[in-house]
Amino acid sequence: MNASCAAADSAVDITLHHRITQFLYREARLLDGECWDDWLALMADDIHYWMPMPENRRRADSMKAYEAGRGALFDDGLLDLSRRVARFKQPSAWAEDPPTRHVHVVSGVEAFHAAAGEYIVHSTFVNYRSRGERDNDSLVGRRQDLLRVHANDFQLARRTIYITQSVLLAKNLNTFL
Amino acid sequence: MTARMADFHTSWIEAPKLERLMDLENGRMSRLVFQHGGLYEQELERIFARCWLFVAHDSQIPKAGDYITTYMGQDNVIIVRQKDGSVKGFLNSCPHRGNKVCFADAGNARQFICNYHGWSFAIDGRLKGMHASEAFDSTGFDPAGHGLHPVAQIDSYRGLIFATLDPHAPPLAEYLGDMRYYLDAVFDMDGEGTEFVGGCVKSVIRCNWKLAAENFVGDALHAGWTHDSGARAMVGEGVGELHKNPQQSYQVNFNGHGWEFNQDIIGNCASLGDKELVKYLYALQPHVAGRLDEFRSRMIGSISSCTLFPNTSFLPGQNTFRTWHPRGPQEIEVHIWTFVNKSAPPDIKERWRKGSMLTFSPSGVFEMDDGENWEYATRTNEGYLTRQQDLYIGLGGNTRVYDTGLPGNVHQGQVNEANQRAFYQRWLDLMGSASWAEVPQRDVPAEASV
Repeated sequence: MNASCAAADSAVDITLHHRITQFLYREARLLDGECWDDWLALMADDIHYWMPMPENRRRADSMKAYEAGRGALFDDGLLDLSRRVARFKQPSAWAEDPPTRHVHVVSGVEAFHAAAGEYIVHSTFVNYRSRGERDNDSLVGRRQDLLRVHANDFQLARRTIYITQSVLLAKNLNTFL
Repeated sequence: MTARMADFHTSWIEAPKLERLMDLENGRMSRLVFQHGGLYEQELERIFARCWLFVAHDSQIPKAGDYITTYMGQDNVIIVRQKDGSVKGFLNSCPHRGNKVCFADAGNARQFICNYHGWSFAIDGRLKGMHASEAFDSTGFDPAGHGLHPVAQIDSYRGLIFATLDPHAPPLAEYLGDMRYYLDAVFDMDGEGTEFVGGCVKSVIRCNWKLAAENFVGDALHAGWTHDSGARAMVGEGVGELHKNPQQSYQVNFNGHGWEFNQDIIGNCASLGDKELVKYLYALQPHVAGRLDEFRSRMIGSISSCTLFPNTSFLPGQNTFRTWHPRGPQEIEVHIWTFVNKSAPPDIKERWRKGSMLTFSPSGVFEMDDGENWEYATRTNEGYLTRQQDLYIGLGGNTRVYDTGLPGNVHQGQVNEANQRAFYQRWLDLMGSASWAEVPQRDVPAEASV
């Protein structure tokens, strides 16, 4: 998984760290509550929201597990994300009715200064979903975000999501991570 | 010494009893085909160890030593390009103690070395050597005859590589038969062929493999209902009413393969919500008409779907290509790729990669609703009485047409279950035959396809 990391001495101070963490927790709560439009409003106009499917490659291979331009569950700009949101909101989204129950657990937050007004934020997540009687799927991963200061708050300008499963052990992925 | 599964199964279910599972003329079939563990074992032998199965696209393994690993039924196989440009396939299992010899999904290798005792195999499958080889030498061990077990036959059509585990299977060209005429409309539009872009996306659906295959073989009916939300999300309106214009749409099938389609050129492609792709296909259409014919040029990205029997499917226009690998009667592993015309500009290829993933991957706005349907069409049959209730498969019972001049068995109207019935007829024919020689020859190839 992506182990690259900004130097520790560019870490944000505790107040800023707290604000960034609260932003990520709020985002997770919006997703758990299916507040799709509120969630979409957290995205910057130039968002790149990317979740590659990892491949099993030998260490010697120049092609690594997570590569740009390959199979991906998300490789989205704002229009793509808004289309996904539009589907979730359709009354005819049969596979969402009755609704899926989600919990997004966010942890391991580290935040670093990047360009002026931007922060690189690492975090880990667990997404646990339950649907119908006994459908339970979980997905664990690591994220690297670029947060940008926006109107006394933040917007998400870039998110890369590294999941561990090379075969998604579920029939679908009906949320954002 | 060879111990065959069949020698240890005294209970294969033979033709007279199998026929009680289907009454296709009257549009009825049994749900037991989705549930019965014994039938599943029989499918592994008589469908998956017998049919030609898609294993790779030429473009995935361009250079000598390039390989991918995939499945034929539940058999893990390595498909590898040889130094002479040919392709070989082997069981991914060491003939010494059975361990997997290749753990990567894809790559390039000069040899495959088993992690257990260091047996090393050349890319042509030959045993080259091993750890502590002197110990073997002193016992008179002969490495010849201890190579990786090869697939029985391997061949390709328009860049699509297929293999079979049955040495007695008919040639691939015969197996595909009249479907080759239609395959050319998508995999040989401009004479340059296609390629796969990006890697493979894999997921698990807890459904019987036939429910996925039958959906793509002919189920245009579900599009307007199941995928209403996806269509509205992508293009702001529902799928058109496909049943209202049967004169412009068809189902064709041959040897259990089936393609449902209309003549709207770009209907599937338009659902990706990218005008550049639609423009690309419209610009290409007259060239395809000149090269092939007007009829097929109107199929290149139209509202359509296809399954090549038993478990390979694709959608023209959306350019998603997939295999449904069985994992027991109630689970499949789905492998998904995006295919594009080799000659397309890089920007067009990239738009297709993104568009097909946004719509037809596990997170895709269309695919999300399919998995749910197939899982519960499978799992309801856990009910003892439920599984003994027949299902309806009779739509379009009188739609066969004979005067179109088109190859294959042609039915008028894509909203139809003719292809599904042909799929299950082929399934029944194969399941009830002890060898390829016994499989009934129902479909006679048209001259036009040759």
